[in-house]
Amino acid sequence: MKDKVIHRLLFFFLGIPMVLLAVAFQAVRNINRSVATSDWVNHTHSVILEAEALRTALYVSDAMMRTYAQSGDARDLAACREALANALDHLDIDKALTRHEPAQHDQIIQIESLVSPRVEFAQALLKARQTGDTEKVHTLLNGDAGSTASHDIQRGIDTLKDEELTLLTERDTASYLQAQTTRWTVWTGVVLDGLLLGGVAWLIRDDLSARRRVAAALQEANDQLETRVRERTAELVAANAQLSSENLERQWANQALEHQLRYNHLIVDSITDLVLVLTKALNISRVNPAVIHLTGLDPAALINQPLTRILRLVTAPDETGGPMRDPLAQALRDGRDLRGQAGVVEDKRGRQIPVHVSMFPLRDRDKIVGGVVTLQVVPPGTGPKA
Amino acid sequence: MLALACIVGVAALDALTMSDLLGDPNMTPKRFANLFEDFNFDDHPFVEVQPPDEFLATKSGDCIDYAVLADYVLKQKGYGTRLIRIEMVGKNFNHAVCYVTQSRAYLDYNNRVYFFNLQRSGPSIREMATKVADSFNANWTFAQEFTFDYDTMAKHVFITIVKTDPPEEDPDLATRPPQP
Repeated sequence: MKDKVIHRLLFFFLGIPMVLLAVAFQAVRNINRSVATSDWVNHTHSVILEAEALRTALYVSDAMMRTYAQSGDARDLAACREALANALDHLDIDKALTRHEPAQHDQIIQIESLVSPRVEFAQALLKARQTGDTEKVHTLLNGDAGSTASHDIQRGIDTLKDEELTLLTERDTASYLQAQTTRWTVWTGVVLDGLLLGGVAWLIRDDLSARRRVAAALQEANDQLETRVRERTAELVAANAQLSSENLERQWANQALEHQLRYNHLIVDSITDLVLVLTKALNISRVNPAVIHLTGLDPAALINQPLTRILRLVTAPDETGGPMRDPLAQALRDGRDLRGQAGVVEDKRGRQIPVHVSMFPLRDRDKIVGGVVTLQVVPPGTGPKA
Repeated sequence: MLALACIVGVAALDALTMSDLLGDPNMTPKRFANLFEDFNFDDHPFVEVQPPDEFLATKSGDCIDYAVLADYVLKQKGYGTRLIRIEMVGKNFNHAVCYVTQSRAYLDYNNRVYFFNLQRSGPSIREMATKVADSFNANWTFAQEFTFDYDTMAKHVFITIVKTDPPEEDPDLATRPPQP
């Protein structure tokens, strides 16, 4: 998106100087054309001015010629010659000016064809007057009396002037249109550049708005994230507190359990009766100090040993005559207590000590996992004989 | 009246003369132009050219007096010179200069007071006309090359250049050898 905006901005920024260059190029071209058209307008004025100067020079020469014919004064002669020279000069200039305009040039040639006899007439008259040939002077003047030559020249000049004025109108219109075209070109360029600048401003404004929206969205997302972090932190703190509390409770429970266990051990160890804890297979798993004291055996010599290692039950023969069964194993399997069974414990030195045997099954939930056997030493003379 | 005559007489005593100009063995276009620094401008009809002695004595004249005199003197000194008249837009708005081929420049009476009193230019009449018209901030319409004879005081035009004509068809290009 950002690249697209930059590309558009580059397009606009390149467009502006290109429009400027195009306008400058077009304007300069129009100005050059306008100058050329203006030259043609000036040229037309010049042709008209020269034609008018020719007319004036011819008038002056004619007047001075007639004056000289009357006066014979050298100054009038000089003035007449100068006027004639001027007329020819203006004629030549007009011929040169209309060199590339055939219609006007033809008109000038036509005027020249009328002027030349007039000049020749003037020169002839001047010559006659200079030589004092007054008769010839009169003849010439009389012959010229009804001549339309001067009028024809004037008409020719008027025609040329009318044509030039028509051309002047056309050339002035062209000049005006060139100026109008230049104005339109410049203003079109200004408007186009204005539009391009407006486009640039709009793009920048749009981009800034988009950036503001993105920044706002980012800010909102950050705020949400911070809120969630705060909530999660609070949850973690609460969970941590709960865990700490639970840990403490568990620690207390463990301590209570340890205390209870120790107390139980203390109770068991304090009992003068012999207490043996059995596995389900009737192996010894634990004994109290009374057992060690009575048997003289180390705990290591007793643990994991079968109960029969130190205890033998004294049982009556089976009345049915069947094989004798182990009452302890039977009671454990059945899950019932066995109380007051007679038995004999054999100590380390092989001495037979009569005891009363009781067995209690150990249950973990509903399952029998072992049993506890208590042995009560029978006072001497009261117990069964081994 | 007597006082005025005296003043003119005194002025004439230290004035340039045609003999001074023609007798100067070191005469160059630049040197010629420098001699007219203190001359005044006096407008008179273009067709009238002052006799040289009158122009030098009065120290007053116009462009054609100066150009024609330069043409006359420098031609005597072996320079190739051309008289050019430029017609600009307006009534009697024209100007004359003297082009010196060796200097590739023209002498212009309007430049007489400046240090650079020779205006460089190509040899075409069109180029000179454009430069002269530019110096007046004006448009020219046509220009002529002419000669002037002090003896007859007559002007003879032999080339006319028209601004609106195609430059490549200018008559002076046909009569002049190509420049290096």
